[in-house]
This record gives sequence, structure tokens and C-alpha cells, in this order.
Amino acid sequence: MANRCFVDSLAQVSCQKPLSEEWFDSPYIYDVEYVRALDPDIKGLIASSEARRMSKILKRAVSTALTALNSSYISHPDAIITGTGMGCMENSEKFLTDLSIFGENCLKPTLFMQSTHNTISSLIAIIIKCHGYNSTYSHKGVSFESALLDAWIQIKSGSIGNALVGAHDEVTPLMNLVMKHTHPEYSFVSETSMSTVLTNTAGSNSICEVTEVKLFHRPELEELAHLLNERTDSILLLGVNGNILNDKPYHDLLKGLSYVPCALQYKNVFGENFSVSSLAFYVGAKILEKQSVPVFLSLFGDKKVSGNFENVTILNHSDNKIWSMIRLKKIG
Amino acid sequence: MEDKVFVTGVGIISALGVGKDATLQALLKGESCIGSATYIQTEHKEFPVGEVSLSNAEMSRMLNVGYPIDGLRTVLMGIIASKEAVSSAALTTEDIHRAAFINGTTVGGMDKTERHFKKVFDTNAETSESLELKYNDCGYSTELIADNIGKFGMVTTTSTACSSSANAIILGANLIRSGVVDIAVVGGTEALTRFHLNGFNTLMILDREICRPFDKERGGINLGEGAAYIVLENEKSARMRGVDILGVLCGFANTCDAFHQTATSENGEGAYLAMRKAMEMAKLDLFEIDYINAHGTGTPNNDETELSAMKRIWGDNIPRFSSTKSFTGHTTSASGAIETVICLLSMQNGFVPKNLGWHTSIKDDIIPVIEDIENIDIKHVINNSFGFGGNDSTLIFEAF
Repeated sequence: MANRCFVDSLAQVSCQKPLSEEWFDSPYIYDVEYVRALDPDIKGLIASSEARRMSKILKRAVSTALTALNSSYISHPDAIITGTGMGCMENSEKFLTDLSIFGENCLKPTLFMQSTHNTISSLIAIIIKCHGYNSTYSHKGVSFESALLDAWIQIKSGSIGNALVGAHDEVTPLMNLVMKHTHPEYSFVSETSMSTVLTNTAGSNSICEVTEVKLFHRPELEELAHLLNERTDSILLLGVNGNILNDKPYHDLLKGLSYVPCALQYKNVFGENFSVSSLAFYVGAKILEKQSVPVFLSLFGDKKVSGNFENVTILNHSDNKIWSMIRLKKIG
Repeated sequence: MEDKVFVTGVGIISALGVGKDATLQALLKGESCIGSATYIQTEHKEFPVGEVSLSNAEMSRMLNVGYPIDGLRTVLMGIIASKEAVSSAALTTEDIHRAAFINGTTVGGMDKTERHFKKVFDTNAETSESLELKYNDCGYSTELIADNIGKFGMVTTTSTACSSSANAIILGANLIRSGVVDIAVVGGTEALTRFHLNGFNTLMILDREICRPFDKERGGINLGEGAAYIVLENEKSARMRGVDILGVLCGFANTCDAFHQTATSENGEGAYLAMRKAMEMAKLDLFEIDYINAHGTGTPNNDETELSAMKRIWGDNIPRFSSTKSFTGHTTSASGAIETVICLLSMQNGFVPKNLGWHTSIKDDIIPVIEDIENIDIKHVINNSFGFGGNDSTLIFEAF
């Protein structure tokens, strides 16, 4: 794989100020178990006639996708690749609700049409008239990493020159209540929409380079520790959330390291859902670009972390079954 | 990047039966396996379906699995087909450790969800039944299947509606060509659900008769269900293991129609681009294609635009083509992998599956394969899979 892969732009909608990077210096702090995303101002991005037909997740996804494209040099990406753990949950839930209340008649086609996971990637393609590669991954907490891996290998091997990669998940009030049963390892639940433009060429606006994307199925912690010990990246961005059911494998992994990294978290700021690891990607990219680490990200309460940050490694697990590792590198 | 991607194993379950031998016999027999619904709980008995003729309990006994898998039809079928693929490729535990497992599915554990949703909704999730919704998302189905095979190198899930398993095959091929893995078990699985049946019904694209792809009077889809996987492998690994090579994946492309969520553009732009790009990658001349296993859902929209796309490429010399959805029903996410296995069987056994139910041309006297064609040499086949959202994928296989 001869080519390189650079991050050209990023955009997010979450419980932080939407389509903004204010979270890096002054994040909103929540003391609740569940908060929905703050919806962006879509004027100028989506025509109101179009927006009326879109569910929340579609509006957010289109907003972040168009914002990321607008701030890159790419208008028609070679590929549109999306990760979403639950897909268009609001529409699926409405369709299921209608099915259980009204039975198998009088159901609404629009809910079904906009319920499949690939609705998001397709809608973006329809809006920007993009006939290129278009795919969608839906694998729990590594949906984003799966989409990123697909884009990364295709850019690195030269099949494509650039890609729009996104991760989007909405959590309806009912699903939040369901998650108390299905995801006891969660703590603070919120919603995520993140889009990034990746290219094979470094430019003046390149934010960082993506040097590794790996997925692991039921890895031994020693295997992961070995990889980290080889690299000794000072910054480790971890998917800890303060709940021992989720955090234990991360802490066990840290114990197995032969060096002392600066361990950082991000779910305290962005909440939990299947797409939130995409925001770790955003956080890692900004740390390398700005060469500074916000204090609120520090896992062990380190005071101001400074230094020359060359690489950031992002580690994330889903049910301690699937792990992902992303490695980002400073430009230059 | 020029590494060849070999197929070294196949596994399949559908209305045609369990396993590749049963599938081959059913195709050669030339009779549709679509019929009345037995297992899916629905009022809409007027729509014929292509059901796997085993109950969840029967499949659970075959596999010796219990809760929660015994209630997840997508997973049960997925385990049956992937086990066959892994064993036909003679993959060892160590081979699996370094392999990728890529599964395509769209509704995942929806069959379980729809049995419990009402109680969850009525109680505002204050019921332990809420736990049953855990298996709804696609990734759980994939992991439950993977866990029953072994510890893979990596596992993930594609979800692009009816082209999901074709895109799982494409990701597997790209992972091999870029050197990330040597072996990939790829395909997809999808059970019939009330969600899907009613969803397609709201779009008014289900046929009350046995479906008639590419017929002038075609009336829509018969939904089906099933699972299929193939084992992809690079040359070095396949030669080192000394396994039989069943075919070569010599071209593939994924494109987007970028027109509408559930309808296709009139000139079939996405389908045209997918077939054209895959042909460019395979570096084949137009006449070298011996058979096209069309997407051919039987909807007025799909079949007409797929023909337009074929005509744009081949003009008046469209290769032999048929839709095997008249045998299996439209197995949605699994269709790309199920029809890939059918294409491989066609190449290995020198026959072309018939397009059942056809009577009259849609236009220009274009006629699919309607007679028995056996004992011929089939070197290259195309498999089309098109999904909602205009997610169009084409795979080209070469006989080895």
C-alpha cells in the first residue's frame, strides 16, 4: 500500500455546540444520564422543503457531510462510506410502533424507505450527485472504524484518491430506556454525527495523517499491549466512560504497558453511543493539529499536558469482543 | 494490488435447501421453491415467499445452540452457511485466527425485536423483555455467527440493503488485495421478518403470484430468506494450504445510482457503472462473459432499468442472463452471496440456471435463459446486486 492517507476536514453534531470546535476550549459539561444532540442550524445547507422529509439523523448526517466537504477541496468524493450502529432508529421505531398498534395494514412507506442503515450514505450521494463507491457498516461500537478501514485501505492502495467517511447514531428516548437493559456498561448516553474528508495528498489544510486502522476480534490484552509497547505513543485516547463494566479492560491493558502514556478520555464530553468513537478520531486529529491537550480529557487528572506530540493512538472496544486501534500522526 | 483473489470455499442455505449439493440439485430440477408462508408470522399470506424449510427449533437442534441464538433466524441460517463455507475450504483454527469475517445483513435480529417490541413499547421499557432488543442491531448477529465458528482476526458487518453481502465480498477482496488479511470469510444472511414483508408491501412491490423477473407482465418481488458465504484467499495462502480453487474473483465494483432511495434511474446509471467498472477491472472483452446472474427482482422498475444498463454495455449482444430470484425469492441482504454461490455452481457444473416464470419480452425481444442449458463451458460470470439507496454492486468470477 504505497499511498498515504490524510485528514482534510472534520465536522460534528453532538451534545457539544454543533458544527463547531468550541468544545476543544470550552466544552458543555453535563451531569445527566442522557442528553440528545444539539441540532445544527441547517439554513444554507439543506433546503427547508428537503429537510421536512428528513429524520433527525438524516439532517445531522447531511449537515456534517456537507460542512466537511465545504471545508475541504473535495466536492465530489471518490467514495462515501458510513458507519452507523443502529441506523435510522427513529424511523425504524416509528414503523415498529405502527406495526404493533395498527397491525399489518395502513403502514407508511416513507418510514420504511428511510429506515435502512444505508439511507444515510445514499442520501448524501443523491444530494451531491455522487456515483462513486458507496457503502455502509453497521457493527456496534466499531461501525466508524469499519468505515474508516474501508476508506483507508482503498486510499492507501490507490483504488480511490479521497473519501467522505462518517459515523452517525441517534438515540430516541425509548431506546435510551431500552439501553439501560441492553447496555449496562454505558454511563452517559448521547448522540453522534461526525463526518471527515480523507485524501491521498497532504495540503495546506491537512490536519493529520492516518497511519494505522486495525480491527481485532476477541484479542488477548497482551496482543494489544505488545502493539502499544512497540509504538510507545505518548497519547492514548481510550473509550473509558467511568463505568467499571466498560472500563476494566482498558485499565487492565494500561497495567500491561511497559511505559507510562498520557491516557485520555472523550466520552465524558460527548456521551456514549455506537458512533462516539468517531469523535475520538476528531479529538485525536485536533490534538495533533493544535499540539495541545485540553485538561478535561485527562483520564487521571494530569495537569496541563504539553510536549511535542507526534502520534496519537485511539483504542476502543465494543463489549470487550471487538477492539479497534487507530493511529494518527502529526503533519510534517 | 494485482494479487488474485481466489474462492476456496462455499456455504449456502435458502429455499432451495441446505448446502451446495441440495442447491445444485434444486437448480437443475428447474422448479421454483417459492410457496406459502409457514414460519413467518404474518397476516399477509397472499404473498408467496421463499422460506428456508426448517423451523428455528430444527436449526437450533442441528447446530446444538440455545438462547439467544435459538430465537434469531438470521443468525441460525448464518451459522449453518458459514460453517459449510469454512469446512469446504478446510480452514483450520489457526487459519481462522488470521482471517476476516465480513457479514452482510440489514435487519439483523429484527425477528426477535418484533416479537418483543409491543411489550417494550407498552411498558416504556420497564420490562425485562427489553433485553431481547439487544440483538436487533446487525453487529450482534455477525458476532454470534463468528463466535460459533471461532476466533477470527477481524470481524465486521456491511449493511447496504439488498447489496449487503455483495459489498461484504468486495470488502473481503480489498482486504486481501491490500495485504491486511490472507483469508476472508464473506457473505450475508437475512431472515424473513414482518418488518421487511410489511415494508416492501407499503411500497406496493410484492407480487401475489410467483415472481416473473424480466417478464412484461411481472408484478414485483417475492421475498425470500437465506444465507451464503464464500471463502476468499490470496494465491500464496491457497497454494500453501493446497486447497481446491473453486473460482477467481477477477472484477468487482460498487457504485451509486444517486437518484432515489427506492427507485432506479431510467437509464440504470448505477447498474451501468457497476458492470462497466467491474468489466474494466477484470480486463475482459464484452464477448467473454458467458452468463449474467441478474439482480432481476421482478419489480417493473428494477428489471427494465437493469436491461437498459445491460443494453448500454452490450448493445444487441447481451450475454445469456437469468434471475434466479424466481427459484429462491429475493433474499435481500443475502442475495449477493447466495447468487454468487449459484454462479460458482454454474461454472463448475457447466449449466445456466433458468429464469422461471418468463413469458413475454419487456422490450426489444430481449429474452432471458428459459431453456435447460447444460454441458457447456462457462468461463466468466457476472453477478449483479442492487440495493435500496441505489447501492449497486457487480462481481465477476472466472473459472479456475
